Amino acid sequence: MDFLFILPIFLPLLTAIFLFLNRRIFNELVTNFFTLNSALLSFAISFFAFVTFALDKFKPISITLYQWTRTPDITIGFTLDGLSGVMLLLVTGLSFVIQLFSTSYMEEDEKHSNYFVYFNFFVFSMLLLVMSSNFLVMFFGWELVGLSSYLLISFWSQKPAAAKAGNKAFVINRIGDFGFLIGLMIILNTFNTFDFHTVMQSSTNISENTITTISLFLLLGAFGKSAQFPLFSWLPDAMEGPTPASALIHAATMVTAGVFMLVRISPMLQHSVTVSIVIISFGLLTALIAAFSAMNQYDIKKVLAYSTISQLGFMFIAIGAGAYVAAIFHLVTHAFFKALLFLGAGAVIHSMHHEQDMRKMGGLRKRMPITAGMMGIGTLAISGIPPLAGFWSKDEILASVFAKAGMQNELVFSIMYYLFWSLTLGAALLTAFYMGRHWLLIFEKDNGIDHSEVQEAPKAMTRPLILLGIFSIFIGFINTPFFHGLEKVLHETLENVEVTHLPEGIALVVLAVISIGAGFTGLIIAFLIFGFELHKRINLEKFKLESPINLVKDLSSNVLYLNKFGNVFFVSGMKNVSRKVAVIVDGLIIDGSVNFISSAFGKTSRITSATQTGLVRNYVVYFGLFLVLLISLFIFTPLVAQ
Amino acid sequence: MFELLIFFLPASLLIIGALIVVFAKNPVHNAMGLVMTLVSLAIIYITLNATFVAMVQMLVYAGAVMTLFLFVIMMIGVDKKEQTSDSIKGQTFLVSGVFLILMSLLAYVAVNSEFSWNLWFPAVEYVVEGTPQLIAGTLFTTWIFPFEIISILLIVATAAAIALAYDSKIRNKDA
Amino acid sequence: MLEVTTDWYLTLAAILFSIGFFGMMIRKNALIMFMCIELMLNAVNLTFIAASKHFGQIDGQIAVFFVLVVAAAEVVVGLAIIVSIFRKQSSASVDVLNVSRG
Repeated sequence: MDFLFILPIFLPLLTAIFLFLNRRIFNELVTNFFTLNSALLSFAISFFAFVTFALDKFKPISITLYQWTRTPDITIGFTLDGLSGVMLLLVTGLSFVIQLFSTSYMEEDEKHSNYFVYFNFFVFSMLLLVMSSNFLVMFFGWELVGLSSYLLISFWSQKPAAAKAGNKAFVINRIGDFGFLIGLMIILNTFNTFDFHTVMQSSTNISENTITTISLFLLLGAFGKSAQFPLFSWLPDAMEGPTPASALIHAATMVTAGVFMLVRISPMLQHSVTVSIVIISFGLLTALIAAFSAMNQYDIKKVLAYSTISQLGFMFIAIGAGAYVAAIFHLVTHAFFKALLFLGAGAVIHSMHHEQDMRKMGGLRKRMPITAGMMGIGTLAISGIPPLAGFWSKDEILASVFAKAGMQNELVFSIMYYLFWSLTLGAALLTAFYMGRHWLLIFEKDNGIDHSEVQEAPKAMTRPLILLGIFSIFIGFINTPFFHGLEKVLHETLENVEVTHLPEGIALVVLAVISIGAGFTGLIIAFLIFGFELHKRINLEKFKLESPINLVKDLSSNVLYLNKFGNVFFVSGMKNVSRKVAVIVDGLIIDGSVNFISSAFGKTSRITSATQTGLVRNYVVYFGLFLVLLISLFIFTPLVAQ
Repeated sequence: MFELLIFFLPASLLIIGALIVVFAKNPVHNAMGLVMTLVSLAIIYITLNATFVAMVQMLVYAGAVMTLFLFVIMMIGVDKKEQTSDSIKGQTFLVSGVFLILMSLLAYVAVNSEFSWNLWFPAVEYVVEGTPQLIAGTLFTTWIFPFEIISILLIVATAAAIALAYDSKIRNKDA
Repeated sequence: MLEVTTDWYLTLAAILFSIGFFGMMIRKNALIMFMCIELMLNAVNLTFIAASKHFGQIDGQIAVFFVLVVAAAEVVVGLAIIVSIFRKQSSASVDVLNVSRG
């Protein structure tokens, strides 16, 4: 039964093909039936395979489907170990829940069946990515998730913004993929194989410089896919796609591919100090910038998009700190509560008839109690309030960074890591603040708009919400300081990896209290401003805070002007350069030389064509001339004349 | 003496015939000059012991090819006068120039070798008789491939001649 | 005592070739030009036969056969061309024909 785990990979592909072929025949009901059942079946098989695998003491299973060449070793193979097992369960499970939600959300959409074709295709590509046993298959999956993400972002391609957002995501991802591809080439050149296991085994024999180079190129790929600074601006735009697709692709699974990949190559990463510092600093920068930007957004989905980027930054921080288990743990918990938040936002958008501006919402709690409650759970979970899921994982990340600081031999590095820790804590506080604001603006704050027509979302939407809400509460218990469940699962994968462990005893408790404090503080500030409306009750004018607050608001809603900076610096610069290239290199040099050659041929042929009179007797004269030439040759060359 | 006679008589006939071909105004006379040339060439072949080639020369050239020529002359008529002045600009100049250079080259060669040919290889003592047996024996063994190819060429030429001479307009009128 | 040697035949062939070539250049009638071509081909044949005797080899005579066949093929095609030209312009002069002008 070893091959069982590859069935869930190809089941979505078959479903996608089947639905595509029958897209004109099937109505919505039949399409829903097939796609839901296939998703459920694939989850069931995954679950069964995972349980079998767990009973076998998490011994990794590998399957080679096809071997192309032996040296260099290029094969198509899949593997089931702790890491891919967790991802397998996560992807198939969430895919089922979100497809259940989609059946209602995409109801009566023109391209209903297309949506499910793309969706299933995405699930297939994501599973290809996570289940691969070598870099090449992973790259296939990597590119295919990019493609399906593009298809789903610009799903409503009649909207110019959606089409543009799809292009943007694709182009920015391409920058990352370029780095990934170069990394793969160096890997093949160095190790002569793509296989994860072999590469990781032999990575100890390779010089640190090579490791650093490979890791940095792969990291560029991870930055592109996981929307890290500076390649993050595509993710907020990607919210143009259908909300359930955003929930699965741009929150729960695809964007975590970078994190997954980095954990996959962790045996290699740990050898390079440079890469660790690069990862942690970029992760931190991303977490802070995105959290800051989320503070003043009014689009219900954009807040969540920036929040996703920020949480991905947390995962990168965990990887940089060497806490690979914590990264995967946060990936799992984040997948649940972010999917919950996205689906909740989808339910709100659906009930508000595709209104996404939070300023036109407010006071929806009474109209949509279930959605409000579930989104409240999601908000608490992401803010890190115990005992919800987010607390356990975020606290583990913070504690790991702190522990890493204690492990440093030099004081400078120690101070640096303590600084990282405090900034991460600040990002956590900001997270609680903007998520509290998000919830309050939608469900609590009274904007004086009449919402009496708004109704609770249909059952097909609330049920997945409730399911995810339950998971958001309890999923955190898979890896608490008292029960290292996930760590055991990942044990085989991270066999030779030095994982940063949590501090023991009283230090852990203190750290936990600090992180809970940060979460509560953020929520309380949010409540004071948006719920209690503090600024209206006390006279702010004597503090002269008007202009700093406006500045912060302006910077936040414009994402620190990073996009404008990018546009001015890269896009228009690139445009100018390419225009010049088009005129000078293409127009003058290439076209010029081609035109010159052709006109030279034209001129010379016009001259020589004068000899081609078409008159036979002229040709006879030419014949005579060459006869003379030939005879002279015979007479005057020494060879013949002797 | 007889040897010289048997060479010079056909040789002079041959040159006279060739000149008639070039200079006669009436196409029929040209054709007769060509016949004369070909027949005297056949005689020269016999003096060169190539009897079978001489026979074939008589049959194919002086017989078949010449009949073809005369047939065409009959078709296009003999009364058309060729215009005497040259219609192509500079042709006379070119022709005389080329011919003069060619002749002076030949004269140079003749004077340079003091009117004696140096063939480098001496003539063999024995005589090869060009009998049909000998020719066939070599033609159908050593030269069998060129022979087959040349037969393909003949078929193609025949087909081409039919295609070229076929007048579709006339045929359509009849039908 | 003069002896008829191979070089005599070669000289005769050269004269024949020159006459044919000269005729090629000065005549405008396509038919006559073909006859001149025949003269030149025959001059070549004569050198082949003379060489065949000179070297005591039969292959020269076989080459004559090939030239003969090629000449026959050429005459057949050429005369067909002349006939079709004559149908168009009722003259066999080649000077008015410059369709293949470059």
